[in-house]
Amino acid sequence: MSELKDCPLQFHDFKSVDHLKVCPRYTAVLARSEDDGIGIEELDTLQLELETLLSSASRRLRVLEAETQILTDWQDKKGDRRFLKLGRDHELGAPPKHGKPKKQKLEGKAGHGPGPGPGRPKSKNLQPKIQEYEFTDDPIDVPRIPKNDAPNRFWASVEPYCADITSEEVRTLEELLKPPEDEAEHYKIPPLGKHYSQRWAQEDLLEEQKDGARAAAVADKKKGLMGPLTELDTKDVDALLKKSEAQHEQPEDGCPFGALTQRLLQALVENKPFSVPHTKSLESRIKEELIAQGLLESEDRPAEDSEDEVLAELRKRQAELKALSAHNRTKKHDLLRLAKEEVSRQELRQRVRMADNEVMDAFRKIMAARQKKRTPTKKEKDQAWKTLKERESILKLLDG
Amino acid sequence: MALVSADSRIAELLTELHQLIKQTQEERSRSEHNLVNIQKTHERMQTENKISPYYRTKLRGLYTTAKADAEAECNILRKALDKIAEIKSLLEERRIAAKIAGLYNDSEPPRKTMRRGVLMTLLQQSAMTLPLWIGKPGDKPPPLCGAIPASGDYVARPGDKVAARVKAVDGDEQWILAEVVSYSHATNKRHTLSRRRVIPLPQWKANPETDPEALFQKEQLVLALYPQTTCFYRALIHAPPQRPQDDYSVLFEDTSYADGYSPPLNVAQRYVVACKEPKKK
Repeated sequence: MSELKDCPLQFHDFKSVDHLKVCPRYTAVLARSEDDGIGIEELDTLQLELETLLSSASRRLRVLEAETQILTDWQDKKGDRRFLKLGRDHELGAPPKHGKPKKQKLEGKAGHGPGPGPGRPKSKNLQPKIQEYEFTDDPIDVPRIPKNDAPNRFWASVEPYCADITSEEVRTLEELLKPPEDEAEHYKIPPLGKHYSQRWAQEDLLEEQKDGARAAAVADKKKGLMGPLTELDTKDVDALLKKSEAQHEQPEDGCPFGALTQRLLQALVENKPFSVPHTKSLESRIKEELIAQGLLESEDRPAEDSEDEVLAELRKRQAELKALSAHNRTKKHDLLRLAKEEVSRQELRQRVRMADNEVMDAFRKIMAARQKKRTPTKKEKDQAWKTLKERESILKLLDG
Repeated sequence: MALVSADSRIAELLTELHQLIKQTQEERSRSEHNLVNIQKTHERMQTENKISPYYRTKLRGLYTTAKADAEAECNILRKALDKIAEIKSLLEERRIAAKIAGLYNDSEPPRKTMRRGVLMTLLQQSAMTLPLWIGKPGDKPPPLCGAIPASGDYVARPGDKVAARVKAVDGDEQWILAEVVSYSHATNKRHTLSRRRVIPLPQWKANPETDPEALFQKEQLVLALYPQTTCFYRALIHAPPQRPQDDYSVLFEDTSYADGYSPPLNVAQRYVVACKEPKKK
């Protein structure tokens, strides 16, 4: 129960127009029987009076509508289920002869009346929410239907694989086939540089020289006797080292011949009285002769290979590179060939499509002719046959 | 022959109108009962000083019934008014037919020899009986109701009253009351006017109680028919009508008065149109 002051209603005074006072002509006409009827001259006054009545009636209607709306809203706010139901019954039971605005209003009310009606939850709180929900759902719902674009995304991702080959792509392939300029470089075997032991020995010697030179320079600065020592340069050092090496290479005392020469001489000659000039070159010449005869195998490579791991590795890698490049090249050739074939097939397919269109046109013409209930002309028939045959020939080319 | 058949038709319509009016009163007395109930409920609710749910429901029911009744009443009243309009148009046709046929009705002498007083009465009557626009809830007043202007492509029909700007003999331009004989043809005074110079007069009165926006507001500049003349002059609205049958109260621009304006004069809704002239004549 709420207080009167809470009530939003206005308690209008719904008195109807007192026609006896306000509409005398109207009253007079009412009093007459049908035989007497209405005079033409009374029309104007009647019109005015009727307008007055109508205006008051429609004003009353508007006010009533406003008040009922207030009443409904008020009741809904309170969430009083019982009376919503009762109210609904009242509305639906109202007499059927309703004008348009009334009907719309009813439908509006019935719309959110049965909403909370069926499937009514037990708690009061849910009711206004449900009503709100129904109001706001409809305008938002329609544009919110999500577009299913999964197939679009799928086709977009597959597209690069199925697209036609363009001439640009063929050109790119051809360019790829050109052998790279730096290939030769990869196969070079750089010459053996100085062995590191030699290099380091050289460097050490140089260092000592410098130190000695500095010491001597400090000692003999005034005398200026640095000359011979400081002028020693790498060339001389090399010569010195080579001499010492050469000496090392000949462990045997006094025997000037190389190993092979010695063995040969031992085999062929009993005593070694003579000395032969150019022993070194003799040794190498004998070696060469023996190799040429096939008696001695060339010892170079295995010896070198077994000792030089870096070289071995380098050679291995170069072989791999060669094999791989050859493989790639063949593949690129194949790809180019296939691409060119596909391009020609694409052109054929394009022609098939155009032929399809022509066939469809001819078909449509014949159908139109048939609709108009006349037989198609010879020209149309010929054209249809021609387009069909064209299409077939192109298809044959394609499949062949 | 045509006149006789028109007469019988008019008689028919009058009978129908009579019936409609009787029906209206039946409806009204029926709904009277419900309205009385509502009144009683209101009183009871107010005396008890509390609103029980019982009362609320009851009130709702009563309101709903009253709404239905009011609608029914409106419908019948509208039908009756339509009937009256029908009869009137038939009468108008008959008048024109009679004029053409050369017969003069005693109560309506031809324009050329009409006396001023009679003309004025006619004008007044025409203003009074301009139909009142009573829209259903949710309806908006149409063009040519009160102050609502005509739509851009409106073509005046023969018989429509308009305000027309014509050149008088001495070269002055004046807005006069005129009746359209035919579109783009001469009026009675043999003026051929372009459409710009013709303003159609309203065909409905606007109801101040339901459609106040269709009325001219205070201080608006309008062309109004000077009382007892057939010429339109510039004027300012002094007060819009309060009730449907009331007139506008306007101040005419008049240099013979001190402040430039005449005292307030009453002009019917029918004879007030929007003023389009930019400068003073």
